[in-house]
Amino acid sequence: MKKVININFQGRVVPIEETAYDILKQYVESLRSFFANEEGCDEIINDIEGRIAELFAETLKKGSTCITDDNVNAIINSMGRPQDFEDDETKVQSQLGSTGGDQKQQQSSSSNTNESFADEKSRRLFRDENHKVFGGVCAGIANHFGIDRILVRVLFILGFGIAFIPYLILWVAIPSTASTVIGSARKRLFRNPDEKFIAGVCSGLGNYFGINAWIPRVLFLIPFLSLFTSWSHWGILNFPNFLNLSFSPGATLIYIILWLVLPEAKTTSEKLEMKGEKVDLNSIKNTIQQDMQGFGERAQQFGKEMGTKAQEIGVKLGEQGKQFSKEAGAVAGTAVRKTGTTFGDIIALIFKIIAYFILAVVLIAVVGALFGLGIAVTSLLPLKSYFIADGWQSILLWGTFIFFIWVPVIGIITWIVRRIAKIKSNSNLMRYTFVALWFIGLFCFIGLIASISNDFNYHNNPSESTLILTNPETDKLELKYISDNKYYFNNIFLHLEPFASIDEDTAYVRNINIRILKSDNDSFRVTMLKTAYGATKEDAEKRVVNMNFEINQKDSALLFDRGIPVTKTDKFRNQAIYVTVYVPVGKRIQVDGSLGWGSDVHIAFGNDMDYWDWKNDDNGYNWDDNKEYVMTEKGLKLTHPSDDDKTDENNSTDDTKQKLEDIQQQKQDLDKQEQDLKNSLQQDSAKYHYHQPADSNKTPVKPPAKETQLKVQAETSTGMLSSPAAMAQRFTL
Amino acid sequence: MDIQNTQSQMRKGVLEFCILSIIQQGEVYPSDIVERMKAANLYILEGTLYPLLTRLKNAGYLTYRWVESNSGPPRKYFLMTEQGRTFYSELERTWNELADAVKALTAPPEETNVIETPNHNQ
Repeated sequence: MKKVININFQGRVVPIEETAYDILKQYVESLRSFFANEEGCDEIINDIEGRIAELFAETLKKGSTCITDDNVNAIINSMGRPQDFEDDETKVQSQLGSTGGDQKQQQSSSSNTNESFADEKSRRLFRDENHKVFGGVCAGIANHFGIDRILVRVLFILGFGIAFIPYLILWVAIPSTASTVIGSARKRLFRNPDEKFIAGVCSGLGNYFGINAWIPRVLFLIPFLSLFTSWSHWGILNFPNFLNLSFSPGATLIYIILWLVLPEAKTTSEKLEMKGEKVDLNSIKNTIQQDMQGFGERAQQFGKEMGTKAQEIGVKLGEQGKQFSKEAGAVAGTAVRKTGTTFGDIIALIFKIIAYFILAVVLIAVVGALFGLGIAVTSLLPLKSYFIADGWQSILLWGTFIFFIWVPVIGIITWIVRRIAKIKSNSNLMRYTFVALWFIGLFCFIGLIASISNDFNYHNNPSESTLILTNPETDKLELKYISDNKYYFNNIFLHLEPFASIDEDTAYVRNINIRILKSDNDSFRVTMLKTAYGATKEDAEKRVVNMNFEINQKDSALLFDRGIPVTKTDKFRNQAIYVTVYVPVGKRIQVDGSLGWGSDVHIAFGNDMDYWDWKNDDNGYNWDDNKEYVMTEKGLKLTHPSDDDKTDENNSTDDTKQKLEDIQQQKQDLDKQEQDLKNSLQQDSAKYHYHQPADSNKTPVKPPAKETQLKVQAETSTGMLSSPAAMAQRFTL
Repeated sequence: MDIQNTQSQMRKGVLEFCILSIIQQGEVYPSDIVERMKAANLYILEGTLYPLLTRLKNAGYLTYRWVESNSGPPRKYFLMTEQGRTFYSELERTWNELADAVKALTAPPEETNVIETPNHNQ
């Protein structure tokens, strides 16, 4: 029982079985893609359709009630399938002609199809539809290399853990033999030379997945765009840092690999293959569904086969090995690609697997990145009111958020789901709506950036204020945050990047820069400078006045507030604080790790040049956190140059501490002298063109040991050695 | 190097010439061409013929005429243009030369003095 439908074919109403119609449609489609690049493609298709219509009319005239599958197949056989034309339109005829004249066309053309099919099968790797247990991959490989199926299966099963993923990949990647029966060609990944920008990789990918070539192009371009945005320290644009990191080198690399790996579609048949049967999630799903049918039976069959053939394997293995090596030997000399030999196919296969793997990774990464982006941006929304002014800016932000970020995320995910669920809508309405919405989002985004940028136009006139210290003559100053605050620590799970912590209506940002300089008297001095930005100068000044940031001394600790408060009315406009600690010579200072280098949240739009003047002006930043420094005439010095045992000293008594410090001071001086000596030695040897013996290069001269140094120092009693003496010293060593 | 490939290369060369020679004899319907070639033991698929005809038509060698048919849609009958005739006579001359040359070459050795270079006039 079959459903018959009426179709309008070449201006005639033709009653045709639905299945027959599908075959016909597929056939015409395959012709269309085959002749796509031919001049007068439509005309050719039209002529052929006209002829088919005529043959239909004849069939119906003979008394058939409708066109059946057989009718269509017979007509297709007499017209020929694209792959029959493929081998330059002639292989078919040669076979026919050479076998003598008493053949009927019908027979011959069908035998052709079989022959060319068999030919095809030996040249290319197919999944074997007839002998499959699971997906027919093993059987296909076995056919391809002429080895026993069982052997391949056993190998696959033995290496199950490792071979499982390759099996899945092969299942998807290798066309089934069934696909060759219907007129359409199988699909291969090529570079498309007809529509290329660089190498045609994206266009080829687009063809392969039946999508617009611009989709892969944009995917390859995104990383580059994000590279451009990374100049600003913390901009909205480059928020997903992982996208930058994982993609910008990756995409280029992938592109180059694909460029190298993929062949260019040169001949018509290659172009046809490039555009052939759709390989999308849909067809992958279908393949797997179809293949799983009757799996049970085939498994049983396989079990039986296993039993009977197990003993033959040993013998066959030897034979096949011989055959294989013979083949490989024969192959080596010939043109690998053209002849489609075993060796060439293996290479092609490996490349294909790599290409598939890369594609899968890219797809997953893109979806993951989109989700990550959406979620990350969403998680930042609570901070909106600290950053965005009400009114227009807020509307623009929402526009950006919904249309620019979430619409593409939802759109792409919808597209994938629809692909899998096989939902097809012919109207482009949805697609255009998505694109239009995204453009709205883009405009919102641009507007938002412009608007915010305006708010960062001016900064206040910086003026330093000196803090009053309760005990400026202390020996040591330790800089840290006030610790008795439960909001103090960042939420590690959901790190609110720009802000250290949030109270009910105040966010705290730790834009605190600490400079350590030498004091010109014998007491500590601390100055603080506040900066902020605004749409106008007054705006910026007002913001600075509202900035309440306290630094208090408690014993030897200098306690900082937990951050610069940013209120919802004030907004975050690059508020920053520069604290300069002037340390008298001989006194110590240590910056706590939690304070350390500020998180330095700064939004730049390229219009604040003098920002950097405050960052990089002097050597006040030559320190590291969690390390104790002592101020010397020449600047900061680590009290314990080696990182070890620095915590131990804190527990020792003042006496031993003092002693230790003295010794260390001596040690430092000695080190310095040693360095000076070495330098002068080098200079001298350069001056006098003193040549070292050739072999002395191989055995580098050790620097003078400490004891010797001390001895020499004692002898000369000046602490400074003249150059010849230093040389003498060196050679006596 | 397989025999079939060589054979098909040889056949391919003359296919166009054969089709043109059929059309040159008068206006003809494509499936008639297939029939006549079949009768002469030369097989061609219709799916191969139509593109070839379109190509020749676009090159200006052929033209066509619609003829009403009682058994289906109107048929497209092909006939040769003046340009096509010139083209055909060129091909014919080349073919004759080629045929002679091949005959001379494949003939017994005593007739070797008749050798011509087949590519000379192409």
